[in-house]
Amino acid sequence: MTAAADPACKARISPRKPFPWGFRLIPPIETFPPVLWFAQTIIGKLLLLAIFGKLLWYAHSEWRQLIILLAIITALPQYRRILLTFGALLWAGDTWWQSTGHRLLLQVPIVLIVAALLFSAATRFRQSWFGRRPVASLLAGFALAVLLASYLPTDRHLRTLSWDFLTVAGTYLWFIAYSLLDSGSKNRDPFALQVGTYHPFWGSSSTPFVKGAAYLRRIEAHNPEQLAIAQLKGLKLLTWAVILGFFLEKAFMPVVHGYLKIPLYSHLFELSIQRAPFPWYIAWASLIANFLRSLLQISIFGHGIVACCRMAGFLALRNTYRPLESRSIAEFWNRYYYYFKELLVDCFFYPTFFRYCKSRRRLRLFVATFAAACFGNVFYHFFRNLNYIKELGFWKALAGFDAYIFYSVVLAAGIAISQLRQRPVKTTSWIRGRFVPTFCVISFFCILSVFGATDKRYPIQECFRFLAHLFNLAS
Amino acid sequence: MERKVLIREFIEGLLARKGDTQPFSDEASLFVSGRLQSVDAIELAVWLEEVFAVDFASTGFDQEMIDKVDAISALVEGRSTRE
Repeated sequence: MTAAADPACKARISPRKPFPWGFRLIPPIETFPPVLWFAQTIIGKLLLLAIFGKLLWYAHSEWRQLIILLAIITALPQYRRILLTFGALLWAGDTWWQSTGHRLLLQVPIVLIVAALLFSAATRFRQSWFGRRPVASLLAGFALAVLLASYLPTDRHLRTLSWDFLTVAGTYLWFIAYSLLDSGSKNRDPFALQVGTYHPFWGSSSTPFVKGAAYLRRIEAHNPEQLAIAQLKGLKLLTWAVILGFFLEKAFMPVVHGYLKIPLYSHLFELSIQRAPFPWYIAWASLIANFLRSLLQISIFGHGIVACCRMAGFLALRNTYRPLESRSIAEFWNRYYYYFKELLVDCFFYPTFFRYCKSRRRLRLFVATFAAACFGNVFYHFFRNLNYIKELGFWKALAGFDAYIFYSVVLAAGIAISQLRQRPVKTTSWIRGRFVPTFCVISFFCILSVFGATDKRYPIQECFRFLAHLFNLAS
Repeated sequence: MERKVLIREFIEGLLARKGDTQPFSDEASLFVSGRLQSVDAIELAVWLEEVFAVDFASTGFDQEMIDKVDAISALVEGRSTRE
């Protein structure tokens, strides 16, 4: 669908250097033979872990648990996948115990048993309807269960139990989907190892980082040298995440929102809702600042997770890779949040692309892109926060999701058109070849972000009103 | 043998469009390494459908199937053997 986020190794084949004189802020230490050799020795490993732990201390609140698990995995690489399962179960216990007064913790084994049954059914009955469409069946079943639960009487114990189960199941939904995708592989992992990818200890959102068990098998280090390379790259990435974190906290926020006094976007949006006046240029400044901040935040978040994954011996691709260099909408979407894009590609794009409209090439691409970037995107975000559905009811919650549906339609149209227009890279002037396309892409996503809020849902007319503020059309 | 040459030529074309002229072996990973990306996976899959009549609708699609020249060749060969 779109270009994958470039891995660190891409830097070797890229003719472009970040600085004209070849200077790099973080040197490619994994390519220095003495460093690579040292990282394979016991002292080297201990030093790596110590530096990584120190950086984690800056970047992560649960740095102790993380570094202990990483140290055990580094010491026992032959048990890496089993330890991963152990870590995932530990995460489940810790998270659900802390966050919900223990009630939801009881649902975790039930969800895992259901997942195991689905995985087993998809494996055994591959020629059945379910076996041929395991992910579609899972998602349809989940949506139906949510719909039914929203109709249960509010005073019944069954309703509480149903929502408890669905809340936990929703958290694991896309992880289970990746397991079901892997169920068709010849060399698939047993379910016990699949569990290691369900909210792995290195972190994730509702989006599986880093995809599922099939991907982990492909990127796992199989010898000490590969492990050393993965760990050195992990260290580099975490260093970069810490640098970005410092920049965000100590420079970006104080300068933009302190010195320049640009209001927070959420605050300005509230002002727009309350019909309070503000100048159009302040709206632009706030929107751009919010867009840049979200780029920094997603980079820091993704780099931290991928760094820990690499430290555990899996050479995963970065989640965010130079999004401001994108020359097309499709490229930006891919560079911005790679693992979310991959989820939609794997669960929606490929199944649609290879099943429907096969005789019409352009239509096929268009339909599959809409299946992923529009339908899949809306599905993911609508079912991510079940509280809205629980409080408002299914249909009211869906109606209140109109702004994000609009966002997804425009996004999908943009990506589809951008893919259909894709041309080979030509050498043109810097202005025409790089600046203009990048400026257009950034502007598109910046303006579209007015409709893309998912944490707090605003009516679409309020989003249009803010858009009007940007062009000085609203008072 | 000729099949592999055809596959290699097509992949070289995909890489060249990105300005990547580095050599690659038949066992080298193309997608996991990040040299080729999802958009290329689609182009490659469509090409395999058109030239070798590979039907991904029946086999299911996974990037791993086309991650290496050897894997692609085996995929095409498997299809020929079934015929």
